[in-house]
Amino acid sequence: MDPECAQLLPALCAVLVDPRQPVADDTCLEKLLDWFKTVTEGDIFFPVGSLNLTPCKKKVWELLGEERSSRGTPGAVPLVTPGLGRPHRVQCRAAAGAPLPGGAAVPCAESPGPEFWGPLLLTPPGRNLRSPGKLLPVSSGAVDTIFSLQGDSSLFVASAASQLLVHVLALSMQGGAEGQPCLPGGDWPACAQRIMDHVEESLCSAATPKVTQALNVLTTTFGRCQSPWTEALWVRLSPRVACLLERDPIPAAHSFVDLLLCVARSPVFSSSDGSLWETVVRALSCLGPTHMGPLALGILKLEHCPQALRTQAFQVLLQPLACVLKATVQAPGPPGLLDGTADDATTVDTLLASKSSCAGLLCRTLAHLEELQPLPQRPSPWPQASLLGATVTVLRLCDGSAAPASSVGGHLCGTLAGCVRVQRAALDFLGTLSQGTGPQELVTQALAVLLECLESPGSSPTVLKKAFQATLRWLLSSPKTPGCSDLGPLIPQFLRELFPVLQKRLCHPCWEVRDSALEFLTQLSRHWGGQADFRCALLASEVPELALQLLQDPESYVRASAVTAMGQLSSQGLHAPTSPEHAEARQSLFPELLHILSVDSEGFPRRAVMQVFTEWLRDGHADAARDMEQFVATVLQVASRDLDWEVRAQGLELALVFLGQTLGPPRTHCPYAVALPEVAPAQPLTEALRALCHVGLFDFAFCALFDCDRPVAQKSCDLLLFLRDKIASYSSLREARGGPNTASAEATLPRWRAGEQAQPPGDQEPEAVLAMLRSLDLEGLRSTLAESSDHVEKSPQSLLQDMLATGGFLQGDEADCY
Amino acid sequence: MPEIRVTPLGAGQDVGRSCILVSIAGKNVMLDCGMHMGFNDDRRFPDFSYITQNGRLTDFLDCVIISHFHLDHCGALPYFSEMVGYDGPIYMTHPTQAICPILLEDYRKIAVDKKGEANFFTSQMIKDCMKKVVAVHLHQTVQVHDELEIKAYYAGHVLGAAMFQIKVGSESVVYTGDYNMTPDRHLGAAWIDKCRPNLLITESTYATTIRDSKRCRERDFLKKVHETVERGGKVLIPVFALGRAQELCILLETFWERMNLKVPIYFSTGLTEKANHYYKLFIPWTNQKIRKTFVQRNMFEFKHIKAFDRAFADNPGPMVVFATPGMLHAGQSLQIFRKWAGNEKNMVIMPGYCVQGTVGHKILSGQRKLEMEGRQVLEVKMQVEYMSFSAHADAKGIMQLVGQAEPESVLLVHGEAKKMEFLKQKIEQELRVSCYMPANGETVTLPTSPSIPVGISLGLLKREMAQGLLPEAKKPRLLHGTLIMKDSNFRLVSSEQALKELGLAEHQLRFTCRVHLHDTRKEQETALRVYSHLKSVLKDHCVQHLPDGSVTVESVLLQAAAPSEDPGTKVLLVSWTYQDEELGSFLTSLLKKGLPQAPS
Repeated sequence: MDPECAQLLPALCAVLVDPRQPVADDTCLEKLLDWFKTVTEGDIFFPVGSLNLTPCKKKVWELLGEERSSRGTPGAVPLVTPGLGRPHRVQCRAAAGAPLPGGAAVPCAESPGPEFWGPLLLTPPGRNLRSPGKLLPVSSGAVDTIFSLQGDSSLFVASAASQLLVHVLALSMQGGAEGQPCLPGGDWPACAQRIMDHVEESLCSAATPKVTQALNVLTTTFGRCQSPWTEALWVRLSPRVACLLERDPIPAAHSFVDLLLCVARSPVFSSSDGSLWETVVRALSCLGPTHMGPLALGILKLEHCPQALRTQAFQVLLQPLACVLKATVQAPGPPGLLDGTADDATTVDTLLASKSSCAGLLCRTLAHLEELQPLPQRPSPWPQASLLGATVTVLRLCDGSAAPASSVGGHLCGTLAGCVRVQRAALDFLGTLSQGTGPQELVTQALAVLLECLESPGSSPTVLKKAFQATLRWLLSSPKTPGCSDLGPLIPQFLRELFPVLQKRLCHPCWEVRDSALEFLTQLSRHWGGQADFRCALLASEVPELALQLLQDPESYVRASAVTAMGQLSSQGLHAPTSPEHAEARQSLFPELLHILSVDSEGFPRRAVMQVFTEWLRDGHADAARDMEQFVATVLQVASRDLDWEVRAQGLELALVFLGQTLGPPRTHCPYAVALPEVAPAQPLTEALRALCHVGLFDFAFCALFDCDRPVAQKSCDLLLFLRDKIASYSSLREARGGPNTASAEATLPRWRAGEQAQPPGDQEPEAVLAMLRSLDLEGLRSTLAESSDHVEKSPQSLLQDMLATGGFLQGDEADCY
Repeated sequence: MPEIRVTPLGAGQDVGRSCILVSIAGKNVMLDCGMHMGFNDDRRFPDFSYITQNGRLTDFLDCVIISHFHLDHCGALPYFSEMVGYDGPIYMTHPTQAICPILLEDYRKIAVDKKGEANFFTSQMIKDCMKKVVAVHLHQTVQVHDELEIKAYYAGHVLGAAMFQIKVGSESVVYTGDYNMTPDRHLGAAWIDKCRPNLLITESTYATTIRDSKRCRERDFLKKVHETVERGGKVLIPVFALGRAQELCILLETFWERMNLKVPIYFSTGLTEKANHYYKLFIPWTNQKIRKTFVQRNMFEFKHIKAFDRAFADNPGPMVVFATPGMLHAGQSLQIFRKWAGNEKNMVIMPGYCVQGTVGHKILSGQRKLEMEGRQVLEVKMQVEYMSFSAHADAKGIMQLVGQAEPESVLLVHGEAKKMEFLKQKIEQELRVSCYMPANGETVTLPTSPSIPVGISLGLLKREMAQGLLPEAKKPRLLHGTLIMKDSNFRLVSSEQALKELGLAEHQLRFTCRVHLHDTRKEQETALRVYSHLKSVLKDHCVQHLPDGSVTVESVLLQAAAPSEDPGTKVLLVSWTYQDEELGSFLTSLLKKGLPQAPS
């Protein structure tokens, strides 16, 4: 602890225990307790001599007692203090009702809250607790308190109590009365016995919350503890758990599913444990559709599980989509998902019951299948074609174009028409299905329904966004002609149909749609910009022209996306057709983007412009390469004045790229990297430095070094360090300190610090810059900047000072907020 | 039994991190998704694990509703939607949708810039989150699902702030968010109709306060600014980009105009333009005065307030600068503060709340020597003033709103426990409404009685009206009719209409009863005695003696018969229709008492 804090703490404790003094708000108290915790976690404790220990501890205990009594519920207070003496031992004594050293009474001794016990019990055995079994609070009634806290009105307290119970159980099982680990089948330690009796009793209770608590305790136990005793625990409790399936309705079904899956995942259980699988099989047929899906998914994600169960689980998962397919497929159709099996009555009932139950079931099913699809343990064979067919059918039911084949189908048509929720889920799954291999006709089928979705005038912005994302995934994963750079026979036709739709969406009244369309265009051209088919289809459309117009969109997000899209198109020569009538449009995009950088009132487009310029410079784009120095000078001049620190930081990134191109790439600092011989810079160093001066790079970098926004200063520091590193290899330019240039440089520094431009850009001499570089303690600056700028404010000293000073502040018009 | 369950994950006996889960008839709605300015760790966001343990978020939650753009109400939204994984709809008003991303972006920049946080939501995440937003108009009923609908009401407080009514079937909850019951310089007062929700969840920031007139605070503010610039000092007003800044700008602009002052006023970081753009765009959301004068002069086009350049801070002479951020914890406001703090002629006015740790909090709590980075100590000689301009309803306003909405129960959030306790008692005693104040993580469960809507036919109502009794809102009245259920709808119609609609024939239902009378006379004489007795008792009714010997009173028919086994006893057969049930019962009991003795 800092001596400053040690000095402040007694005064603060005095303030806190004094009821007449205004109390700091809860956040301050919580932070204070956090600090106590960090202080006491280490071995270093209060420096004896600088702090009168006993009175201070006493006051804090009194304070905690006050808090407890004022709030009523012991668990509601963040009693996270692991004591103020030898931490854990003090707590144990406190729990046992023993006085603290120095005779201070402990007000919260009788019934400590879960947070009180938590840190104690989480302590690794042997560190502070030599014999945890002896210290466990069985006799003190603390376990009873934890039992009762499981039903606390605050779910946070209740959950903490359940977790704590698991810790107590685990600890008591780890170290029995004699410190020996318990063996399965042997006698359970008294504390564990009590907890298990309680869990058993709760499992038999008619009150659902009690059952939930018991199931949650067991789930946490099996999730965290993987010792052999957990198997013995399951053997003992599994009949009670299985009995829950006999009740109607099954209580706490969600927790029940969690427990079964947790037990099944536990490595302690061998896959041949018949009783567990029996219960799971029964659960799969007894549970309602809401809980059946998560259980089925959980089973399919297991690494080891009986094959028959996997088959049953997969059937459960597929059932809703199978019903949909059956209800809509005109006989004789393609093979269904679950041929030969009868429709599950519960599933059909749920689909028909109401719009929300139908949508809920389908959304859950689609999400579960989406989660399963990329997993290596997914069922094999994976019914890709049927799933795709079912998903397409669901989408068609939603847009009203599906033809029902039965009364159920007719009902589904009415229920799902215009159901955005299901559409979104189906599009997500459709996108994931693109990752599977499949024949060409499947791709055609998927792309056709996606195009319908994108074309449909009724599609909502969120649906369109998902449709664009799914389309992109299908396009990028579509099979290509082997050994050929073309996109295969299917795609060119699709693109010819897609671009008119994209044009329409670029003109959509909702900014969300325009933006999603631009993001789609950017991604597609990034991947396919070099493909002749794509280029041909794009340039034949009006898409580039519309994207160009969106640079003036009223919505800043759209302007930013348009900048990115145009930057991407321009990099690949796709920003305008090559025909003579588009000659004007083919002119350089640079002035347009520079204008946005200079005048746009929002940060997003300006940031996007800087990213495009940096990319251009890196990739040698024509606009940047034509006169690189001029390009960099112009951009840096504008960026350095920007009010948005991210634009300035991006400016430094651009400067770094330029520096790399002028002086050679940064040296790798990886010790294992193969040291390549230094690449000779493109031009002599003095000339290179002159070029850097000319573009105003140093003005910008030195100014940025003292920027009020930390990331800018950090970036500039890195840039200058890189520069100094580079220059250091040139012996001719190593100069001793103290030359005339150094003096002028040192005189200039305060002005930069004040945010002024020291000299007109480009007027500096390389020598002056070098002198400046030498005079700066860049390493020191970098380590200062590495600390967050509020580290002083966040310090415990600052907290103690603030809490001490709070009195005067709170007396006025106290509660204020936004 | 249907029930409403409410669990605050934030704002339960607390200010900051507003996030309240409401479950109505199985539909789950999250009200606000805010962050806590007082924490830098996980605790700044609500603990969403309670929701995630219920399975997939998007399946569990039907929607998220954001009441207004302040970060303690929307700051966790991109985290929740893009990092925790909620993919469902988010509802907010149009101005909130426009302004929210700006503040989120500012918050992100400060978190990344100042605290160097790497694992934070990005600009792209904010944009993706905003794409999930469905904007709503005031008083527009939005159908979230077939059973769930929401409706927004004007809340004052800040531009675009709204109260939301959430309705599932016949059960409803109103969530106020933050609101203000008195109009201010640029916004109007909150308003809600008499929607009689089952539950009203209201903020209670000023639960125990009756606030002084805002005019006094405004006068005080202007006086202080004026005095400082008059003596050549500089005034720094740290503000957040949108909201209070505009209110104070209008205040100063009007004052400068009136006093013909020439001292420059600046607004930093180019936010004026953006703010003005939104205020112009959403002029219907401002108060009546601004709306009225909008055509002649837009209040948000400031003549005296100019954009600030950081070089201006060193200019000699007086000036007033509005700079962001509002708590002096980073950026331009802190930079200017450092420059001006050493001069006692200068003044800093803090118009809002500052969290612990910030320079704003330190100077407000009276600290005058501040340790800055690199062990530098900044001595604060400038004057420090605090003026609360936050626009919340005070105790009177809260009571007024409760009275206006007439809820069955009230639940208090967004306030301190002690103050809530006071207001809770006041509401329970004065308004006779049960009131709750759960802490974070505590669930309040309210049973609701199912109310089934019944339509009444116009014919039936007209018939009632024809009887001369006009309906009164607060006086329940008994109405007779036939309840028919068709296509899951209930309607009360006249019996004739019911017969017609259902294609049924009318059946007459008669009740009969035998009354034994001790009378040795002949049946005809007994009947005559009954007739005379009833004639004398029932003066207002039509009592007739028919030629066949029977007696009628309205539809009640009485016939005397002599049982063969006991000649001293006569049996009276009494029969009446359903309509005359009361009369029939009365006659039966009257006759059971026997006939009066005939004069001998």
